[in-house]
Amino acid sequence: MNSRTGECLCGAVRLELSQLRSDVHACHCENCRRQTGSCTISVMAPHDAISIRGAEYITTFASSAWATRSFCSRCGSSLWYRLTKPDPVTAEYYVSAGVLDDVSDLLLTQEIYVDRKPAGWAFAGEHERLTGDEFEAKYAAGGQG
Amino acid sequence: MMDERTGGCMCGAVRFTAQLTRKTYGACHCDMCRRWTGSALLAISVADDNIRWTGTGSIKVLHSSAWAMRAWCDGCGSGLYYKFTDGPHTANHEIPIGLFDNADGLVMESEIYIDQKPDAFAYAGSATRYTRAETLALIGMSASPEE
Repeated sequence: MNSRTGECLCGAVRLELSQLRSDVHACHCENCRRQTGSCTISVMAPHDAISIRGAEYITTFASSAWATRSFCSRCGSSLWYRLTKPDPVTAEYYVSAGVLDDVSDLLLTQEIYVDRKPAGWAFAGEHERLTGDEFEAKYAAGGQG
Repeated sequence: MMDERTGGCMCGAVRFTAQLTRKTYGACHCDMCRRWTGSALLAISVADDNIRWTGTGSIKVLHSSAWAMRAWCDGCGSGLYYKFTDGPHTANHEIPIGLFDNADGLVMESEIYIDQKPDAFAYAGSATRYTRAETLALIGMSASPEE
């Protein structure tokens, strides 16, 4: 658990995060793939552990019936992914790791929807890799969001 | 031989048809691509004349440095392209791999700005890796405060 700051490419949106975990997760679902060009790489922060400046620059897109994705309207940087069910207020923030000013001492520990990843690239290393079916079964998830 | 492929953003407002003349692409780990995508920009070069867009009313652009611009969908935030605006490579769009409906047969062959890659992850395989200094020499650009 630690605190870090972050900002989008253009600096319009600034974040202060606390209680940040050091494990990084990658999602290869089709929405994450199209949004980021590869996959979403995120770090999780509780809803009350994030302070946002420049909120007026944030656009939030409902990518499914249970999830939203937020980005900077001035530069297009991916900011975070959140579930809207069961409670959109207390949902964790899955913050794009790349917006952090300090990206040291983080580690990729899990990839999900690996069966949707294009074959032309892959992450190195030993960590958990779940197919979409395995992920949805393990976490009772409703599908790609 | 031309290889026609289609693609589009997450919400579907912006679509394209591209004629590919190559099967290989690169990853960029520069700080700007890292902040923009959340990790790195994986993108393939497509000549301007070989790509056609629909839904251009949803495309927003930012001149992110003295020699490049970036575009995204203002409805869903999907990154759409990176484009040099100065130097020897201005006649191409760099199209994110994840936008393609089918990226089969396309392979990562290089990683640039490898010295700016976060330690948190690494790509597997034998792509050629270039530091920032090596990248600037490779693409024929001089150092700038922001790439």
